[in-house]
Amino acid sequence: MIDRPLASLDDAGLEGALRSLSAAIDWPTAAPTAPSGATAGPDIATRVRVRIASGERVGGARPTWRLFGRRPVRRSIVLAIAALLALALVAGAVGLGLPGLRITFGEPPPSLLLSPTPTAEPTERGTPTPTPTLPPITGIRLDLGRQVQLDEVESLTGVPVSLPTDARLGEPDTVWVDEAKFDQLAYVWEAGPTLPETSERGVGLVLMRFAGRTDDEFYRKVLGSGTRLQTVTVDGHEGFWISGEMHFFFYERPDVGHVDDGRRWVADALVWYDGTATYRIESALGRDATIEIAESIE
Amino acid sequence: MYVLPSESPIVAPRDSTATGGSLTMDRRNTRPGTDERYQRRHSGTDRAAQVYGVRLSWRAVHIEDAELIARARSGDVAAYEVIVRRYQDVAVRTAHLICPETDADDAVQEAFLKAYDALPRFRDGAPIRPWLLRIVANEARNRRRSAGRRHGLALRVAEIEPTRSVPGPEQIVIAAEQRAELLSALATLRDDDREVLGARFLLDLSELETAETLGIPRGTVKSRTSRALARLREALAAIEARAGGGTELER
Repeated sequence: MIDRPLASLDDAGLEGALRSLSAAIDWPTAAPTAPSGATAGPDIATRVRVRIASGERVGGARPTWRLFGRRPVRRSIVLAIAALLALALVAGAVGLGLPGLRITFGEPPPSLLLSPTPTAEPTERGTPTPTPTLPPITGIRLDLGRQVQLDEVESLTGVPVSLPTDARLGEPDTVWVDEAKFDQLAYVWEAGPTLPETSERGVGLVLMRFAGRTDDEFYRKVLGSGTRLQTVTVDGHEGFWISGEMHFFFYERPDVGHVDDGRRWVADALVWYDGTATYRIESALGRDATIEIAESIE
Repeated sequence: MYVLPSESPIVAPRDSTATGGSLTMDRRNTRPGTDERYQRRHSGTDRAAQVYGVRLSWRAVHIEDAELIARARSGDVAAYEVIVRRYQDVAVRTAHLICPETDADDAVQEAFLKAYDALPRFRDGAPIRPWLLRIVANEARNRRRSAGRRHGLALRVAEIEPTRSVPGPEQIVIAAEQRAELLSALATLRDDDREVLGARFLLDLSELETAETLGIPRGTVKSRTSRALARLREALAAIEARAGGGTELER
């Protein structure tokens, strides 16, 4: 037993005391914890993976390109060399007058001019047959699962269709079910006069239903610093209006824990839990209008 | 066997912290006396062991790091997740030593994102932990500067006694009130002093790792540590003088 103050210790003694202190510190962990001490969300590794997978990266990790030997080479250098080689080949071919290659200068022939819209007007060459074009499928690039018909939803998922009755929306333009994500449901509306376009071309609003619940502590702890979070009320339930530069999302299921949808959002979003499921609306309408739409769901 | 969960919903572990500390070590490949320190440093490696379904030795972990890095460089995000999980706890501790508590979590996330983008520039064969911690430390410093105020030290002594009953050879058992004094004294130090003492003795980094993490030469670590200990002693003396005397110390 040594009876002396810490200030009287030599360097080795102070180092030992600091090491001992380390063992007694209540170190924070990589997973957010609720005041009760329980884990309140996914750990940092999961959050980082989701942020990368959702396309949010600072600069973007790129596959390493190797040209000669094992030393990695920047892709831009490889592409520049390839472009120079191609240019040299073309220049050499022209200079040598190789058959099969002729370069002319002047206006391009009409047949090579691209028209932004298909035309059915007759031309000197005859009457072209209009090329049939399929209308784009709204939300097809959002990785929402399998496209289904609205009247199939209940039989496929066991969940009755609940849609906003707000006048700005009619029936959804496309409906999607993802069985691999616990029958995740997505309704997508095309952008139009009453629905401004989101960051996804042609998409005006996305309503999703997740079979799980949100976690308040998670939202406060794990959203990125570039994200603004406001607590709101949706039809008497607490919700969150999430806006800003970064979005990613988890919800909690009693059977498997935290689940993420792994998709980059297309707009600011309203998220709420109504006691049975979690809903999310992504839209460019702004907070108040989005809440109005959410509260019109029947 | 490494499984990429790309075809199934990505499900986070319910409690990643619960995975720490149970890694089975192959003692034949373990350097004498390093088991406990190794396990402390590599908490979370058992998660990798679960993913890979193999027992990891001290030597094997570094091989696995290299393999994971190679996979992550080629765009395998799940492999990078394993790397992050392996080092996230020490990264969080590092950030808490440097920047305000409210920013530490964000700093670590951003640092791991930046590290992912910087992976092509990572030197093959180098240990990744100090490289990651340096990125974390830089991000935490940026946030400390942005905060524009002195934040002190956000660490707290646990309310319950540490579970380790037998102190390590380099440790000294100190009483609860002395821990509080020591933490208070640390909080009064300059940022540079607190960082070097924190890295060396609270995070238990080697001199070399401390140098790389803090971005200073190894010689500077030695000299700065010595000066920081002197200043810590002065701060302790002031605190003890205010408290009106010394306290018991048991070696």
